[in-house]
Amino acid sequence: MSSPAPKSPDQSDKSKKYDRQLRLWGDHGQKLLESSKICLINATALGTEILKSLVLPGIGAFTIVDGDKVSEEDIGSNFFLDEAHIGMSRAQAATECLLELNPDVRGDYIDDSPDHVMSQTQDFFSSFNVVIATALPEKVVMPLSRQLWAAGIPLLVCRSIGFLGYVRLQIKEHTVIEAHPDNESPDLRLDQPWEALRTHLNQIDVSTLGTKERSHVPALTVLYYYLQRFKEKHNGSLPKARVEKDELRDMIRSSLPGDCDMLEESYEQAVKLVNVCVHATQVPSYIRTLLDDEKCTNLTVESPSFWVICAALREMVQSEGVLPVRGSLPDMAADTSSFIALQQLYIKQAQNQAESVYRRAMQISRTLGQSPDVKLFCKHASELYVLRGNCISDEYQNSCPNVSLHLEDPESLMFYYVILRGLERFISEYNTYPGQFDDQVEPDVLKLKTLIGKLLTEWGCPAAVISDDRVHEVCRYGGAELHSVSAVLAGCTAHEVIKLITHQYKPINNTFIYDAITSTSATFVL
Amino acid sequence: MIESAVPSILSEDVRKLIPTSKILVVGAGGIGCEILKNLALSGFNDIEIIDLDTIDVSNLNRQFLFRKEHVGKSKAEVARESVLSYNPSISIKAYHDSVTSQEYGVNFFKRFKIVLNALDNRAARNHVNRMCLAADVPLIESGTAGYSGQVELIKKGVTQCYECQPKPPQKSFPGCTIRNTPSEPVHCIVWAKHLFNQLFGEDDPDQDVSPDTADPEAAGSAGLNALGTGNESGNVHRTSTRQWAQEIGYNAVKLFNKFFNDDIKYLLAMENLWKSRKAPTPLSWEVVASNEGDKEKSKIVNDNVRSVDMQVWPLHVCAEIFELTVGVLKDELNDKKFLIWDKDDKLALDFVTACANVRAHIFSIPQKSRFDIKSIAGNIIPAIATTNAMIAGLVVLISFRALAENYDQCQSIYLRQKSVHSNIILAPENLIEKANPKCYVCSEQPYVSVFVNVDTLTVKEFESEVLKKTLNMIAPDVILDGKGVFVISSEEGETEINNDKKLSELGIVDGSILKADDFLQNYNLTIGITQYVAEKDEPLFKIDSQNTELKPQENGKQNGSVDKPETKENDMEVDDGQDEVECVTDTVEEDPQEGTSSKRRKLNPPEDDDEDLIMLDDP
Repeated sequence: MSSPAPKSPDQSDKSKKYDRQLRLWGDHGQKLLESSKICLINATALGTEILKSLVLPGIGAFTIVDGDKVSEEDIGSNFFLDEAHIGMSRAQAATECLLELNPDVRGDYIDDSPDHVMSQTQDFFSSFNVVIATALPEKVVMPLSRQLWAAGIPLLVCRSIGFLGYVRLQIKEHTVIEAHPDNESPDLRLDQPWEALRTHLNQIDVSTLGTKERSHVPALTVLYYYLQRFKEKHNGSLPKARVEKDELRDMIRSSLPGDCDMLEESYEQAVKLVNVCVHATQVPSYIRTLLDDEKCTNLTVESPSFWVICAALREMVQSEGVLPVRGSLPDMAADTSSFIALQQLYIKQAQNQAESVYRRAMQISRTLGQSPDVKLFCKHASELYVLRGNCISDEYQNSCPNVSLHLEDPESLMFYYVILRGLERFISEYNTYPGQFDDQVEPDVLKLKTLIGKLLTEWGCPAAVISDDRVHEVCRYGGAELHSVSAVLAGCTAHEVIKLITHQYKPINNTFIYDAITSTSATFVL
Repeated sequence: MIESAVPSILSEDVRKLIPTSKILVVGAGGIGCEILKNLALSGFNDIEIIDLDTIDVSNLNRQFLFRKEHVGKSKAEVARESVLSYNPSISIKAYHDSVTSQEYGVNFFKRFKIVLNALDNRAARNHVNRMCLAADVPLIESGTAGYSGQVELIKKGVTQCYECQPKPPQKSFPGCTIRNTPSEPVHCIVWAKHLFNQLFGEDDPDQDVSPDTADPEAAGSAGLNALGTGNESGNVHRTSTRQWAQEIGYNAVKLFNKFFNDDIKYLLAMENLWKSRKAPTPLSWEVVASNEGDKEKSKIVNDNVRSVDMQVWPLHVCAEIFELTVGVLKDELNDKKFLIWDKDDKLALDFVTACANVRAHIFSIPQKSRFDIKSIAGNIIPAIATTNAMIAGLVVLISFRALAENYDQCQSIYLRQKSVHSNIILAPENLIEKANPKCYVCSEQPYVSVFVNVDTLTVKEFESEVLKKTLNMIAPDVILDGKGVFVISSEEGETEINNDKKLSELGIVDGSILKADDFLQNYNLTIGITQYVAEKDEPLFKIDSQNTELKPQENGKQNGSVDKPETKENDMEVDDGQDEVECVTDTVEEDPQEGTSSKRRKLNPPEDDDEDLIMLDDP
């Protein structure tokens, strides 16, 4: 094949391979993904499928911790394992298969049980960015959750059993810069233009433009001009109610000379922009709350850069009253030079404000270093988000008022949570899954019912809320994993891991239940 | 065989059915690979997979059955081998072929217990929909777009079919917008793709790139008359662009000057076009080349390998890349009859990026980075492993219920991973969606109204644009009802004599009824003709399946929220499968465009082999 054009910049192999996902989380998201280290505890079908969906998009490295050997059941539910793997270390077999999926990912394994690993190497699990545990008994989940809670490492505990799926995210604090809100209106600041923008816009007297010039002028300029006229008429106030906005729209529409029957494209766009772009620029209340957060007001040497930049942002907001401008314009009809002039003003202002935040941040913490994040941070200042979770060990030891509340709703999937907690207790107590042995199904149903009854009493709920049929059904599963259920759950879990690593999109908070019989899911805060 | 391979927790009837049920998977892409895996682990033992596509590097981030060394090979065949290497006991048959090919008729489809679609385009979906209706085989339709996805059962007499609800029209642009008066980046990108095809691709008269003098808006331009005929661009008109390019040996400077200087001057002479528009500025090679001064300050910053893709090339870089790519593409053309534009072919993409940006500059339209242009030109829908994994899992779980004929438990399921704040990630419909009694595909007596200008549309155009591209027939036979006139025959040579005749010449006028029959699809459609003359910027023809003024939903706009899955969004029409488009969805990025041009050409521009779809809520 002919050599590529020398001057045309090359696309790297990685950018070709990852093209379809870069369009979702960008180069910077991909970079974080590629430097992440993920730990999987137990290479069950669910665990292997989760890692598969992380290896394909290119995490940096993974480690599988699993002391089990490959069994017949694994072969029945895990795509990558076959007869030849029986008796082999499950951690090793899964690692080897997963590594084939993406040569850019590194992976290793520890053929040892997670509790043993924890007792041998104190901080072993704290060296990862995210830890995922599948089919891990409660007695190991508890100390692990405490350890990772203290270390601030996110932990996902997952279980796939029969037609039932469960994912619990434990995270002490998670900060999101790019929440990717569903709808975002342009950030134009027409109500309070900074000086350079004001000067620029005031130079153009839209009412005196000729036909030709009107077709060059950007919608934004038109909108600003008539907004000023509106304000003059209304003692300087902005149009708020619909009637007022209609008045502004009419001012724009009726501004054209009589000989012109067609509204210029830019005028049409200006009319459309009225609704989303004409409003008082404010700091949203959730951002105010965030800036007043103790983490922001009481920085320590250990404060992560997110909070240092937040503190700097807070200073800027205190002195200027607004968040940094986003710095991007919606597409609009205009000639290139007018559009670019306008665009440059927004870019410049965004840069200046980002620099100002950066300078403040550097003053606050000299150790911040050359963080390129400040620009991104400022650009998304209006969508910053902080999630604070709780420790699984606390959840398991305390009664959660949310449980009984949700149980009152007959449609709620909360009853599955109760059953799953009963199941965990069953496994801890009897070391098998209920119904795992065919001749034990009936006695196991009774045992499980008793355990669930005890839990409900602890939580102050009536025992009758969990029907016998449902307990029977779970015992019927006998702990078996149905691959397609695991596939759904794994896709969901892997996606949460990607959210955590990239700090983009809001993660689930904090318990996800999937019912494959009705194809429904629910999320609870527990 | 091996009933032991079937998970014991499935109900007994399903367990019995699984090992003996023959399953067809249509598409071995993102969803298809995952479906194959799930089928294998559910104990299915008799699977056939069909896919026309070959493996591309950009598939590897999610199509886990493929590796780098498989790039260029058949997806269906590699997927088969890959599954067998893990599960040698299963029987899988692979077809590297198009599912719309005549070989796969109703009898082919009848052999299957269930058909699972994992496709990436609407035409193939429509076709499989019809085949499964004709064969009365349950079809499970699925698709993903970015973080969103959908699974839906289609079963004759039980549910609605894939075509029961009108889909939002695919984006297309009037020819004169593309050729004369672009106003958005996408217009320049479409033009640049057409230019690629004119110079190197397969001949398509619908993709002319030169000024359109028949633009009704330009009528009466004094300047145009003044120019008269015989000027430099005028004679280029008479020979084809390709022929002329060959005559000058693909001289990049001459090509550049024709497309970006002479043609633009010609457009300028069509004065009426510029009365209320910003006029373009012709740009000659010499001007670009002499702009040495700009070169220094506008270099591409090569600080990060990947972000280079995100930068907008300065004009002189566009010109240089134009020259370089024309040279290399010309050589590639030597060995072949024509080249096929492919967004993943760097040279082709570079050519389009350069040309689109030069044209954008000329028309004062914002320029775009190669990354963005690739997305628009290739209609790329983002695709990730996680969404596909979830959707494919749901597909196989629904297929268990469909196997047992528990259709009332097979409601459509929407995946809306992004809207996590609503706490609903999976949103099933409450009920099965009933068939639309007026559906022009699955109703008892399918009927559709077609609005065309019978005095200008030729039989050939009617066949290709209306019957094939719009109504998705593969090989229609058409008779004029009442008169017995054989208008179109699917047999070669039988009705070719009609091709260039206008509809009215065959007696097809306002009020005529046509009987169209597609033997392959086992599909009979009655078509009512209404005379209609398109205004400027109106589509060339319209169809109305509901016998009401056709109102497909505005693409985009707010579709029902996730919280209310009961409001059926047919925007989610989903796709995935092969490559690009694993998806579905609803909102189009750009504003909906007119379906056709005021002039007689229907353009389907950024519409590629892959997708038709449109994004849900992803950027």
